[in-house]
Amino acid sequence: MQRQPVLSVRGLTKTFGPVRANDAVSFDVGAGELVCLFGENGAGKSTLSACLAGLHSPDGGEIVLNGEPVRFSTAADAIVAGIALVHQHFLLVDDFTVLENIVLGHERGLFVNYRAAEKKLRALCRRYGISVRPDARVGDLTVGERQWVELLKALYHEAAVLILDEPTATLDLQESRKLFRIIDELKTAGVALVLISHSLAEVMRSDRVVVLRQGRVVGERATSETTPQELTRLMIGREVERKHRGSSRPGRPCLDVEHVTIRRPGGAPILDDISFSVAEGEIFGLAGVAGNGQKPLMEAIAGVLPFSSGRVLIDGELLADLDVHGIQKLGVGHIPEDRLSEGLVGDFSIAENIALGSHRDVFADGHFLNRGAIRVAAAVAIADYQIAAPSAETRARALSGGNAQRVVLARELAAASRVLLANQPTRGLDVGVIEYIHDRLIEKRAAGCAVVLASSELEDLLNLSDRIGVMFQGRLMGIVDARSTSIEEIGLMMAGQKREAA
Amino acid sequence: MIAFERRESAGWIAQAIAYLLAIAAGLLASVVLITITGADVADGLGALWQGAFGDAEAIGQSLAAAIPLVFTGLATVVAFRAGIWNIGQEGQVFAGAMAGYWMSLQLAGAPAIVAVPAVVLASVAGGAAVAALCAVLKTRFDVNEIISTMMLNYIIVYLLSYLLAGGPWIEAGSTAYHQTPLIADTFRLPELFGLHLGAPLALLATAAVALVIGRTPLGFELRGLGFNPVALRYKGVRVATTIVMAMAISGALSALAGVSEVFGINFRLRAEVLNGLGYTGIIVGMIGALNPWGTLVAALAFGAMANGALYMSVLTDVPSALVPAMQGILLLFVLGAAVLTRYRLRFGRKDGRHG
Ligand SMILES: Nc1ncnc2c1ncn2[C@@H]1O[C@H](COP(=O)(O)OP(=O)(O)OP(=O)(O)O)[C@@H](O)[C@H]1O
Ligand SMILES: [Mg+2]
Repeated sequence: MQRQPVLSVRGLTKTFGPVRANDAVSFDVGAGELVCLFGENGAGKSTLSACLAGLHSPDGGEIVLNGEPVRFSTAADAIVAGIALVHQHFLLVDDFTVLENIVLGHERGLFVNYRAAEKKLRALCRRYGISVRPDARVGDLTVGERQWVELLKALYHEAAVLILDEPTATLDLQESRKLFRIIDELKTAGVALVLISHSLAEVMRSDRVVVLRQGRVVGERATSETTPQELTRLMIGREVERKHRGSSRPGRPCLDVEHVTIRRPGGAPILDDISFSVAEGEIFGLAGVAGNGQKPLMEAIAGVLPFSSGRVLIDGELLADLDVHGIQKLGVGHIPEDRLSEGLVGDFSIAENIALGSHRDVFADGHFLNRGAIRVAAAVAIADYQIAAPSAETRARALSGGNAQRVVLARELAAASRVLLANQPTRGLDVGVIEYIHDRLIEKRAAGCAVVLASSELEDLLNLSDRIGVMFQGRLMGIVDARSTSIEEIGLMMAGQKREAA
Repeated sequence: MIAFERRESAGWIAQAIAYLLAIAAGLLASVVLITITGADVADGLGALWQGAFGDAEAIGQSLAAAIPLVFTGLATVVAFRAGIWNIGQEGQVFAGAMAGYWMSLQLAGAPAIVAVPAVVLASVAGGAAVAALCAVLKTRFDVNEIISTMMLNYIIVYLLSYLLAGGPWIEAGSTAYHQTPLIADTFRLPELFGLHLGAPLALLATAAVALVIGRTPLGFELRGLGFNPVALRYKGVRVATTIVMAMAISGALSALAGVSEVFGINFRLRAEVLNGLGYTGIIVGMIGALNPWGTLVAALAFGAMANGALYMSVLTDVPSALVPAMQGILLLFVLGAAVLTRYRLRFGRKDGRHG
């Protein structure tokens, strides 16, 4: 069946100063083939795809498209040539509409025929069942919706090669299924596909897997002839066992959320009368399709988002009079949903990001920053969370997605002594480190912390949580015991069915 | 074809070389400009050099001309590093000078030991208040600071011209000159080594700004604000307060430029001696790469140019108006260099497609 590969990468090398992000990488993708790039955080997957899509210029090697060597100066060049990338950290202009983002910069000629473009876009949305309004401002979209905009951009330009960099990290289960249906359709249409994912289940749906380690290809397997175990071994040099977590014996109530409501002018409330309580030494799971209120709920507790009515207490203390900083000082850690915009300052170093938030107390010495203490804390974080970076002075924006996430985790887990609000804490992490983070969550629980954990991985939620609250359209549909519930029961509640007797 | 490619980072050596090249290119372009005006280039530049560095007196005057630019340059550094586009230095210089002068009227007859600190404090408060007003408009009512600071520039400058053009502050008996009477000796900034108090203050301010930005929690927040205010908010930084603080500091620094001109050099308040200090400060801060010490160097260079220009226009037929043009040219080249260090040139086919 293999005639000539659509895309062929030959000895591609890309360095950032001392870091060899890609080291003589070679692989092929044929028409209608789905190739998966698999590898640890920082292995060079995003860099590789950025080189293919014209965002980086490689230092060496060749990119061959349909038998012709190509070089791109800009992403627009690549799209015109037929290579589209759905980037891990989206590259959209917030102030532009969906349509403008998709069309602008890629149209030849001076004028854009918006009407025709919009018609084409709407047809695409219908065809693939994607519900995004072309005239919505991208800045107002959720992360999941932006993911679809990026994908629509690729579909719109009828790319011959489509690269998806961790697309499902921001999608929930149903949406991921939809994405894979689209992927299947594109395969049938003969598009060459490259998928980057840390989820073994997704990796196993590809035709071929290319395993990267420290910038080099360390193995290539036909998916039908390999197993998740073998792939993990190739990737990190050992196997990962999924541990089963016992439940705990929760203590007295620590976090109390009472009737918290966030109204929205002229629409359904964002949060509708949410009440629950989390004891110290308990992990309270939050299940729900993304965008059903998990994010605003955590932000309301953390003080980032003001709420219309209701109240929140920690150890009996009312949070109403405290601002974000005051709440943090009570020992609240908050892992926000979007690491790059909400969690980190990209142009700050790792060390500065570790200090952020505690720079006025823990890391201050009189009127000055305590740079010694910051250095030490950063070194500890880098060692504990195995953050791959040349030094603590590396800027956060130069980190790979998973390594950036580790910086947020290091800071927030250290800060959380009473309450930990963790929104998708393992998003973007490689399988080697997920278990480690789970261990740390259990440790926090054992240390008497009240943990609120939102995750799109139901299995993880069931495995880690003591109780699980299910959210639907800003409401808490019910709270179930993680030991006695089932994925089916939670699934029904996620779809909006109320639980009969709580 | 030549194409630009983005590069991830340039070493500081490459950046320094790019800067030097930009300055050389800027000077070259200035030479071309002088030639076009028909003047003799060697004469013109020679006179410029003589005027700026010819003897001890010239050097002293160059330094004096640099002092206000250090302050307005630093004002730019503080605001721009925080991502606040304060272009109200001009008005804040005026506000500082006016507040200082007002204080000198209130304290008429006071001994120098009280008078000088009071004037400096009043003027700092004036500049800070004007700038903070724009910050509050921004944080409370979402008024763009570029617009508000710009508008306030006009209002303040015109307020002074009202006060001086037949208004309450004009010198008795003078109608030809819009200026106040001479300021009493007790209010004048004391002299040290031939320079007024503004000189050590400027050095101190540079060191202080460097220290605050690099080593203090406030400076940490300022820098963070310029990069990602959202993450700061999520980590409990009171962003609105930080914006007001940054603007107040920026305004206070600009005010010191007004004080040094009025109370250190001219000893009377007159719009002409303040004109342009604020706008030039923006250029100085940018050429100094928004770095306090870089800004100090840029201010010294601009001070020397401004001072030399006077001499040049007297001695040769090169118009002194060429000097602001030269400063503008330098800014363009330096900004160009800053952008270019982020790209690299590639020679070859334009796009990757096989053609
Ligand atoms: N702009 C940059 N400047 C400097 N170093 C960079 C830059 N981008 C990436 N790197 C480095 O290159 C290496 C590879 O990063 P890359 O983002 O490709 O990893 P990845 O495989 O996508 O990881 P992840 O699974 O965490 O997303 C990392 O060590 C990273 O720190
Ligand atoms: Mg990546």
